[in-house]
Amino acid sequence: MNDGHAIPRREALKALGALGVGAAAGGLAPAMSAHAQAPALGQNESVQDAMKRLFGGKTIKDGSAVIKFDIPLIAENGSVVPVAVNVDSPMTPASYVKHIYVIADKNRIPVVTRVTLSPEAGKASVGANIRLGETGEVRAIVEQSDGTLLQVAREIKVTVGGCGG
Amino acid sequence: MSDIGQVRLRIPSSIKPGDVVQVRSLIIHPMERVERDAQGKIVAKNYNYINKVVVTYLGKTIAVFDTTQSVAENPFFSFTFKATDPGQLKVQFLDTTGGRYEGTADIKFS
Repeated sequence: MNDGHAIPRREALKALGALGVGAAAGGLAPAMSAHAQAPALGQNESVQDAMKRLFGGKTIKDGSAVIKFDIPLIAENGSVVPVAVNVDSPMTPASYVKHIYVIADKNRIPVVTRVTLSPEAGKASVGANIRLGETGEVRAIVEQSDGTLLQVAREIKVTVGGCGG
Repeated sequence: MSDIGQVRLRIPSSIKPGDVVQVRSLIIHPMERVERDAQGKIVAKNYNYINKVVVTYLGKTIAVFDTTQSVAENPFFSFTFKATDPGQLKVQFLDTTGGRYEGTADIKFS
């Protein structure tokens, strides 16, 4: 771990002291590298960038016929907002819902969650409690096993934002 | 803070073979938010939040939630699975500090 750090020569000369400094620097490094890897999904970015990163240029169709997106229209407390996404899907190995994304447009970290389902789930129905920073659109995007993307968006009013920072 | 990692799983009391069962899960976890300094810059540190939830039933992965800091504190997740055989349902929560918490429920038919 110490090899990667340029330890000044005078510290190397201070035999015991150098060990202490080296250990401190070593202790810091893993924390930083973990931070660099962790936010692959949730990044501080605009929703346009997030959509581009997740779906590329693929067209997203309107999915209001098959997606049931349950979310309160007015969220009094943005720090806990219950959402539920139910998708009408046979959930057989031939045709099932592969991913369900929940994206909050106005959050600093727009991608809230990505759920990967397998046909054994029996039904494409998931729920979670999310945070909303401010009033804005929240989308549920469904990716089916054949690659089709479907979207439902709702405008949610947030009385007290819940994202802090 | 000693409560971190407590997992609660809730399944219906009677399950019949072949039912599609809805499970609700809850974990006590701070899900730290992004902090900013006086200049509005993001404080670079390793925020402690859950970034993966893995649901397995009879050894097979049913659902994986990849989550970000936009998920609420003490997060709640619900999902379904098809009860085919009696066995163990396991929900694992992984956080960014290497924490691994899990809750299990035995699926029995009545």
